[in-house]
Amino acid sequence: MPKVSPGFAESLSKVEGTGELGYCYQCSACVAECPAAQHCEGFNPREIVLASILGVADHLTEAGSVIWQCTTCYKCYERCPQGTHPIEVVTALKNVAFEKGNAPESVAAVRDTVKEAGFIIVASDALARRRDELGLESAPAAPAGDIKKLLE
Amino acid sequence: MAKAEANEYTLFLGCMIPLRYPQIEAAARKALPRVGVKVFDIEGFSCCPEPWSVKGASLSDWLAVAMRNLAVGEKAGRDMLVLCNGCYSTLTEAAHIASDGSEAKEAAEKKLKSLKLSYAGKNKARHVAGVLSDMGPDAVASSVTRPLVGLKVAVHHGCHLLRPAAVMGFDDPFEPSKLEALVEALGAQVVRYDGYTDCCGKATQDPEASLTMASDKMAAMRAAGADCLLTVCPACFEQFDLGQVEIKRKLGKDHKLATFHYLQLLALAQGFDATELGFKRHHVDVSGALAKIKK
Repeated sequence: MPKVSPGFAESLSKVEGTGELGYCYQCSACVAECPAAQHCEGFNPREIVLASILGVADHLTEAGSVIWQCTTCYKCYERCPQGTHPIEVVTALKNVAFEKGNAPESVAAVRDTVKEAGFIIVASDALARRRDELGLESAPAAPAGDIKKLLE
Repeated sequence: MAKAEANEYTLFLGCMIPLRYPQIEAAARKALPRVGVKVFDIEGFSCCPEPWSVKGASLSDWLAVAMRNLAVGEKAGRDMLVLCNGCYSTLTEAAHIASDGSEAKEAAEKKLKSLKLSYAGKNKARHVAGVLSDMGPDAVASSVTRPLVGLKVAVHHGCHLLRPAAVMGFDDPFEPSKLEALVEALGAQVVRYDGYTDCCGKATQDPEASLTMASDKMAAMRAAGADCLLTVCPACFEQFDLGQVEIKRKLGKDHKLATFHYLQLLALAQGFDATELGFKRHHVDVSGALAKIKK
């Protein structure tokens, strides 16, 4: 038996953008055009919303969860006739997974780079040469101190 | 706050364009003045931040960094011009959240206060495609000196330019046509293909699915007769251009489809040459596509 968390749907519904989570009537409009549902084993936005409503979503916030397969294309958001935003439910679940230390390494690495450098890419000598070759000035400096403060 | 003139913007470059694809920045700086769009550079912007990993880690952290960028832009007194769908999505959605007085906004405001910054909602991000579309294809066409006649272009809008439409406000989320009109303004021919509003696949954390999505899209573009594909986003650009190298290696498909950002084709149609636009840095050779342009 999975562990049931009765307050889970309510806590998710307070997250910005999750829309009318409780109004989902499991019609699968979100699944029809979902690229991740088409191409990735085990990804189904309707099932993710259902598990969240029922409070049996622990497996979705474990390491290796299917939620990271979402491409964030927003087709589910547009197609839902009930104002549920499955993509934002997925984002809310991602936040829970990250909090638990269960996000993929690649996701944590991007966040760490932004925290340290202010950008997702660190400037290099090769880049400086390419900018020079194109007649561009040096790459902009990031306000790294500020960003570190915000992400700490 | 200084009053900005029409078509004057603070340039918000983000990360990928200045730090990985500077050829897109070079094209922007060459092409935009010729259409009458004036951009200003200011200091203090960071990553928007990108709406997959940073937002996936923490919505409140993502919002705080985004609202900081909006606050910095607001101080300069102009709307921010972005050349990337990711930046557009993050900054537009953050401005939307900042206008609704939610708990998320309050938490982000508190964080900004520690930096002695605040965002009053007086400015917003404008995507270059939206700005040019509002000015009209004719305004773009009037800057063209070397029309791209003979070139068949498959337009990839990218999800975050289009959806959610109520927030992004660029075009219809499933049957867009404004960007295509801007391509036709260059003298090129637009080819519609199956699934033209589908995702490039960049943001999924399933590497094989990611490549398959991009490969399927390019196969549909080729089937419709495209000579090249066009994006308005450096992330989509990378997925298709660099992606073709991996697709060839891992899926055994060689699409040989030249990939451009809209601003690169705009600059080309304005008479700038391939060398100054940095086309040699593309992973997929563009010479076949350029040869289609009738002299």
